[in-house]
Amino acid sequence: MAQAHDQSGGAPILSVSNLNLHYGEAHALKNINLDMTRHQVTSFIGPSGCGKSTLLRCFNRMNDLVESARIEGSIRLDGDEINESSTDVISLRRKVDMVFQQSNPFPKSIYENIVYGLRIAGVNDKATLDEAVERSLKSAAIWNEVKDRLNDSALGLSGGQAQRICIARAIAVNPEIILMDEPCSALDPISTLKIEELIEELKKQYTIVIVTHNMQQAARVSDVTAFFYLGELIEAGGTRMIFTNPLKKQTEDYITGRFG
Amino acid sequence: MTHTVIDKSRRNDRLAEVLIRIGGILVIVSVVWILVMISRVALPLFYPPSATVVATVKLPTSISAGKALAVGAEENQRGAFILDETGTFHFLKVADGTLSASIKAPVTPEGATRVVSAEYVGKSAYNLLWDNGAISSVAVALSSTKDADGKASLSHDVTPQESLSFAASSGIVQSFARPVEGKGTVRIDRLAGDRLRITYQLVEKDLLGNEKRNNAICEINDALPGKLTAIAVDAKGHYLYAGTDTGMLLRWDVSEPGQPHLLESMPASDDRQAITSLALLLGDVSVAVGDAGGKLTTWFPVKVAGSGEDRRLTRIHTLRPNSGGVASIIPSPRDKTLFSGDGREIHVDHTTSERNLLTIKSANPIIQAALSPKGNTFSALDANGALTVWKMDIPHPEISFGTLFGKVWYEGYDKPEYAWQSSAANDDFEPKLSLVPLVFGTIKATLFAMLFAVPLALLAALYTSQFMSPKLKGVVKPVIEIMAAIPSVVIGFLAGLWLAPLIDKSVLTIFLSLVIVPLLMVFTLFFWKRIKTASPLQRATRGHEFIAMVPVVLLGIYLAFLLGGLAEFQLFAGDFKQWLFSTLGVRYDQRNSIIIAIALGFAVIPIIFTIAEDAISNVPRNLTAASLALGASRWQTAWRVVLPSALPGVFTAIMIGFGRAIGETMIVLMATGNTPILSWSLFNGLRSLSANIAVEIPEAPFNSSLYRVLFLSAVLLFIFTFIINTVAEAMRQKFRKKYGRY
Repeated sequence: MAQAHDQSGGAPILSVSNLNLHYGEAHALKNINLDMTRHQVTSFIGPSGCGKSTLLRCFNRMNDLVESARIEGSIRLDGDEINESSTDVISLRRKVDMVFQQSNPFPKSIYENIVYGLRIAGVNDKATLDEAVERSLKSAAIWNEVKDRLNDSALGLSGGQAQRICIARAIAVNPEIILMDEPCSALDPISTLKIEELIEELKKQYTIVIVTHNMQQAARVSDVTAFFYLGELIEAGGTRMIFTNPLKKQTEDYITGRFG
Repeated sequence: MTHTVIDKSRRNDRLAEVLIRIGGILVIVSVVWILVMISRVALPLFYPPSATVVATVKLPTSISAGKALAVGAEENQRGAFILDETGTFHFLKVADGTLSASIKAPVTPEGATRVVSAEYVGKSAYNLLWDNGAISSVAVALSSTKDADGKASLSHDVTPQESLSFAASSGIVQSFARPVEGKGTVRIDRLAGDRLRITYQLVEKDLLGNEKRNNAICEINDALPGKLTAIAVDAKGHYLYAGTDTGMLLRWDVSEPGQPHLLESMPASDDRQAITSLALLLGDVSVAVGDAGGKLTTWFPVKVAGSGEDRRLTRIHTLRPNSGGVASIIPSPRDKTLFSGDGREIHVDHTTSERNLLTIKSANPIIQAALSPKGNTFSALDANGALTVWKMDIPHPEISFGTLFGKVWYEGYDKPEYAWQSSAANDDFEPKLSLVPLVFGTIKATLFAMLFAVPLALLAALYTSQFMSPKLKGVVKPVIEIMAAIPSVVIGFLAGLWLAPLIDKSVLTIFLSLVIVPLLMVFTLFFWKRIKTASPLQRATRGHEFIAMVPVVLLGIYLAFLLGGLAEFQLFAGDFKQWLFSTLGVRYDQRNSIIIAIALGFAVIPIIFTIAEDAISNVPRNLTAASLALGASRWQTAWRVVLPSALPGVFTAIMIGFGRAIGETMIVLMATGNTPILSWSLFNGLRSLSANIAVEIPEAPFNSSLYRVLFLSAVLLFIFTFIINTVAEAMRQKFRKKYGRY
C-alpha cells in the first residue's frame, strides 16, 4: 500500500525498495518503498515509534551497531546497493553523513571537531584542513561566531551552536546526503530557526533527509514529506500536497492533530 | 504538597547533610590521626641528646684522687667505683659518696707491690700492669637494686681473669695484653726509649690434650718517624696502631708470633700535629685518631684501587674538632660513639653520622673517666677528688639526615654508599639505615609493574568496552574483577615459589615471547582479514575475535620456548645466566624485577582494568555514533574519540593502580628477594619501603633506632602516596576541563 510519489521528476539519489527490518521479533519497518531526490529536503514525520528514525539509520548503516537488527530489502545509493555485507560501510558513511538529535561535539577543539572526518580519512595537510574548516563553518552559518576561538573546546558552545558545529562537521567531508535525526528537538526557537534557514541553504549543495516531530518544521523546510505509522510508510509526496490535501485518512488525522 | 511534608523533606535534607559532613570529617580526622600517631613514633629520632649530672661527690679521705687508676659507674647511676694503685676497688654510693666496700684484686703477681696502670679491655675487665712489669686481669661486677622502700643497695665483686697473666718484666712504660684465639696470649709493651716489644705466650695442644707452652719474643725494628705519642691494640691482638709527635699514623700486623711487620705509615693530617690519642671503635675496624690540634678523625683500611686485596688506612670521618686538643678518647661499648676531650671539655660524637651529639664540661680537669658497659652512664674523676656521674640520654646517635638520605662511608666499604642493613650476626657492627635503596626499590617495583600492567589493562579495557560482544563482556569483566580479590599473599606465594623458578629456567622464553607473540598476532590478523570477507563468519565472530587469538598466543609462547632453548644453546653456550654474568657482568637473581613486574602487575591489572573500562564505557554512545557516522572505523573511533573522552577516568584508573602498587607489601615481600640494592637491572631483586617495614618490624626492638626509622619510612610512604594522589587529582581536574565530563 505504501507508494512513492516522485514529485521532482529528477533521478532518485536514494532508492528504497521492499525494505523490512526486524529488531529480534519486532517488525520495525514493513516493506518500505521510497525514493529521495537529489538537492531536495525530504522529511519523515509520524508518531513516536513509527520507524522513521530506524529507516533514516538504514541509509548509513548505523543499524549495524544494533546487535539484534536484521534488514532485508534493497537500498540503492546512486544505483549502488548499500544493504549488503560486502558494502564498504566506511566509504558509505563518508557519502551519507548524519546529524543527531542531541548535539554531540567531540571533547576536542572546534577546529579538531570539524576536521575529524578528514583526519580519519588520512588528510593531514594543514592548508586543506584550514580551507575545509572555513568552508564548512561558513556553510553552517557559524563562522562569524567561532572564527576567533577555533582552538577552544567545542564543549563550551551553546546547544544551537554545537548543533551547527555538528552540521559543519558533517559538511566538512563533502557528503552527498545529510541525514538529520530530529536536529532541532533539543533547541530553543531561535536556534531552531537558524538551523531551518541553514537547511534551506544546504539543499543547494546536498540532499537532505530529516526526521522531525515538528510538523510545522516539516512544512517549512521540506520539499517532500513521508508519513510513517507503525513501521509502515503511509503516504509520501510533495509537502504542500501532504499538508493540504493528503490522500490517506490517517495522514490527515495525524496532520490535523487528531492523534499522534 | 502540604507544609508538613515540605518541612519534613527539608529536615531530612539537613540531617543527611550533617551526617555526610560528619562522615567526611571523621575520615579526614582519622587519616590525620594515623599520620600523627606514626609521626610521633618517628619523631624522637630527631630529639637532641642530653647528659644530666646525677651527682657530684667528694671522694672519702681514705682514697687519694691522684692515685686513682680507673673509675666506673653502673647503669642506674647508683654505684661507682675507683681503682687505686694498691689494686683495690673502692665501691661508692653515688647518692652520698659513702664507701660501700673496698675489695683488693684477688691475684697479685709475685713480687708486685703497686699497680702502675689499668687498661679497660671491655666487658667490665681491666688489665692491671704492676710495678714489676707483671700483668694480671680482673673483672669488676657492680650492680644496684632497689627494694620496696626505694632504698638502693649495691652488690659488687672482683674476680680474677686467669686467662691473661704475664710474668714480671722490666722497663715497661705501657702495656697491652690480649688473648689470641687459637694461639694463646700476647702482650705488647712500650718500653723506655720508644721501643716496642711483642711477647707471645703460645699454647699448643696435641692430640692427647697435653699443653705445650712456648714464648715468642721480638721487638719491632722499624725506624719510627718521630717520637711515639700514642699506641693502641685491637681486641684480638692482630693490629698495633701508633701515632707520633710528627703526626704520623702507623699500623703493624702483629698476628704472626715473632714476625710483626709494618703495614703502613702515613701522615694523619696535613698540618702534621702530634697524635695525642688513639682508640679503636667498637668492632675493632675503625681507629679514632686525636691530635694536639684537637682534630678528631676515624680511619679504617680500604681497598686501594687497582691493587687487588691491598688495603690501606684511609681517613673516613672527620668529627667536630676539640678546642683544647684530644688528650684521650673513650669509645662507647655499645655503638660507634666517641667521647673525646682534653679533660675540661668532653665532646660526644657519633662517627657514622658525624654528629656532634653534645659537650660535657667540667670545672676542674678530669683525670679519669669511663663509660658504663651499656654506655648510658659517664663517670669522671677530677683533679680535686670530685667524682661526677652523668646519665647519658642519647637514644639515636646514628640517625641524621645524612645517614638516612645521604651516602655514608660505612666500615668495610670501599666508598661511601647508600646502604640498608639493620642487623648482623654480631652486635658491634655499624647499622646502615639509608632509606634511599628502599625508596628506590619502591619506585623500581612500581615502575616495572606499571610498565607491565598499564598497557595490558588499558588495551583490555578498551577492547572489552568497545569491541567485545556484550554477552562475553558480562563474563569477562566479573572474572577480571575477581582477580582483584585474590589475596596478595597468594599472588606473592605463586610468584616466589612457582613463577620465579619457572622464569629462572626460561628467561630467554620471556624475552622471545615479547617479540614472537605480537608478531604472530599481527601475522594472524593479516590472515584473518583475507578470510573474513565471508559474511556469516563475520557475523558469528564479531565481539568474539579474541578467542581465536588464545591459541595463537599459546603457540607464540611455545615457539618462544623452543627458540629460547635453541638460542641459549647456540648463542649463549647453553647458559644464558652465566653468559649474562661473564659477558655483561650482570648478576641474575632468581627473584628479580621480571617476577615483580608480573606479580605486582597481576595485582594491579584488575584495578586499572575495571575503573578504566567503566570510564570508557561511560563515554556516551552518541559520541561513538557521531564518529562512526563520519566514516571512522571502530578502531579510529575508540582511539581518537572514546579514549580521549575517557581520559580523566582512565588517568584515575592508572593512578589508583599506581597507589596500590606503591603500597603493596606482600607480593613485593615474597617475590623480590628483598635485596636493598640500587640497580635498575631487570635481573636483580629489590626491597620496597612497605616490604621492608613488614620484614623488619617484628625484629626491631621497641623504640630502637631501627623501630623508629621503620615508622619514619611509613611516614615517607604516606607522604609519597599523598603527593601522588594530590598530583593525580589535580591532573584529573585539568583533563576533565580539557576533555570533558566522562
